[in-house]
Amino acid sequence: MKYEHKLLTPLLAVFAVAVGFPLLYSFWLGFTDYKLVNSGATKFVGLQNYISVLSDGAYWSSFATTTAYVLLSVSLELIIGLSIALALQKQKWVKDLTRSVLLAPMFITPIAVGLMFRFFLNDQLGAIPNFLKQLGLSYDFFGPGRALISLAFIDVWQWTPFMILLLLAGLESIPKQPLEAARVDGANSWYSFRRITLPMLSPVLVVAILLRGLDALKVFEYVFATTRGGPGTETKTIQFLAYQTGITYFRLSEASAMAFILLVVVLAIIVILFRNLEKASTR
Amino acid sequence: MSFKKRTITALGALAIIGASALVLSGCSSASTPAPSASSTDPAAMTGTVRILMEDVPDSDIVKSLIPEFNKVYPHVTVSIEKLVYDQMRDKLVASFQAPTPSYDLIVVDNSWMTDFVDAGFLQPADARIKATPNYDPADFFTSLTDITKVNKVRYGVPFYNYALGYIYNSDIIKPSEVPTTLDGLVKLSQKITTPTMAGLAMQPQTGYKIMEEWTNFLYSAGGSIYTGTGKANLDTPEARTALNKYIELYKTAAPKNSLNWAFDDAFRSVSSGGSAAMVSYNWNLAALNKPGSGPYAGKFKLAPMPGGKSALGSWTWSVPTNSGSPDASWAFASWLTSKAIDVKRVVAGGAAIRASTMKDPAVLADAYGADYYSTVTKILSNAAPLTEGANGDEMIQSVGEQLNNAVAGTKSVSDALKAANDAIKTIQKR
Repeated sequence: MKYEHKLLTPLLAVFAVAVGFPLLYSFWLGFTDYKLVNSGATKFVGLQNYISVLSDGAYWSSFATTTAYVLLSVSLELIIGLSIALALQKQKWVKDLTRSVLLAPMFITPIAVGLMFRFFLNDQLGAIPNFLKQLGLSYDFFGPGRALISLAFIDVWQWTPFMILLLLAGLESIPKQPLEAARVDGANSWYSFRRITLPMLSPVLVVAILLRGLDALKVFEYVFATTRGGPGTETKTIQFLAYQTGITYFRLSEASAMAFILLVVVLAIIVILFRNLEKASTR
Repeated sequence: MSFKKRTITALGALAIIGASALVLSGCSSASTPAPSASSTDPAAMTGTVRILMEDVPDSDIVKSLIPEFNKVYPHVTVSIEKLVYDQMRDKLVASFQAPTPSYDLIVVDNSWMTDFVDAGFLQPADARIKATPNYDPADFFTSLTDITKVNKVRYGVPFYNYALGYIYNSDIIKPSEVPTTLDGLVKLSQKITTPTMAGLAMQPQTGYKIMEEWTNFLYSAGGSIYTGTGKANLDTPEARTALNKYIELYKTAAPKNSLNWAFDDAFRSVSSGGSAAMVSYNWNLAALNKPGSGPYAGKFKLAPMPGGKSALGSWTWSVPTNSGSPDASWAFASWLTSKAIDVKRVVAGGAAIRASTMKDPAVLADAYGADYYSTVTKILSNAAPLTEGANGDEMIQSVGEQLNNAVAGTKSVSDALKAANDAIKTIQKR
């Protein structure tokens, strides 16, 4: 065994215990009839759970809800985060203070953020509806067609700082020479941004989008604290559905199948994304 | 391989590992025991009783009674762990299946009872109840003891009632105006609604909350969740009337934009004067009337639901099959729910479970007052739980989602109730 491979051994051992075992065990559960309140022996049921999940309209409805949530929140975070990162890059005074204040939402636990917004958006007691009332406006933040948007905005409030952090680091690592050369050649700011900054920032952008996308896929706390999946099932995300199925309804084997189907879809997206990025980088 | 390409490949590998961890983070025969000889001699009994309870004031009352218990049972150690409701069941299920249990005595929510019994997690309690001298189990409200039974076998004794009633602000609603019919409730709530005060703070949040609240409307309309033989009974004219009235109330007399409101939102609204009334647990009166709790503290009163029948929840004391000290656990549960100690617990602010306690002079003289106990007696004498049989939580959640769809306007009343009825049938087949 080579020296560098030996160095990897402790990490691989920890990985096998901390990630490998739970992963394999939950994978195995997906092929059984295991329930948290099983009184008899657990039986192997083959693909039954997977077939049941794949043919369940509720699962695909939650899948669509989660996809809409991820697309909306991550897009907004990217646009707002990039705008703020570009502004911060140009900032000259009180840089440290501004950056630390902007990062503050990231350090609050998501369940607390969910509860906080539940009260902020409460029509009788919340600061935001009260402000809107003074302007003569009324808005049902958790009404049909709106609740998912409100949840995405909560995500934007909390996680745009993360996007700023990554993009700012990316922007500051871009060499100055190409930008200066473009300026000397008469390129305007928009042209330089579009043709130089964005292409050079693209590896960081992809990673930032991927990390935020994966994190947004996990959305559970905001749903739990504010809507519990409502109105009806409009904000029932995959993680909330898996929690209900596995923990509330005890059907852990079915919840495991749900999670692995999602995992396969996510892995496929990641692989396609990185293949495209590799192709682009070799061009 | 270029540095850039290698970096991208490494990032890809990391992302795949991260994705696996992130996505999967969402998952991750009982026999009747005979009491031992030592259970008849309190002074000789030894053991440790570890209890899991909900983090509510009533658990503190139970905790405050432990020193008194230890005067009778000096060698039994009682320790109470408190958790919020949403975390309790997971800890209990883990303890039931662990080689060494974490809890020796537990409280069981009514929707968990059949699932726990079917899985063999709970000890039958009939023999222990029968062997306990001067216990008088017939004194418990029947509506509460019915919840402790599965296939006519008792698996515990009542600890706490979650019976619902109509709580109103007597500055706004005179006791003589309290509605006795569903139509009366709608009309009164609409009449007293102003731009600054809603007639009724409702809890239409999807799932459990709307199901709990609407069930009272269903009972008021003369309907029921199940037929006499336990079949789904929600696709009925009574259920449609109840849901139509519920929606009418939400649109005309509830706080605006309150579709996701649960108990705490409604409670705050009533307490702060934003609403004149709410349908809630009878014992909430104490918190609403607590001096300094709001502008109308001391003005709140309790009445039975229009129509007289209420939805009911309850906690039941049960001894797990794998309890480390079942005799000591039963000793504590039976001591705490005995007539004399139940009076003390209720005087200290606990929720009533025994009929005799409601007539005790010490109880009638406490802060709630005789009127309150008379009303609670009426409520508990005509109350029924939200669910019967196995998979109770799933049934409540599924029906609640359909009801919320109807209130949100995304489904018609008929379609929502038909879907709810079908959901119960499917769940019953599981």
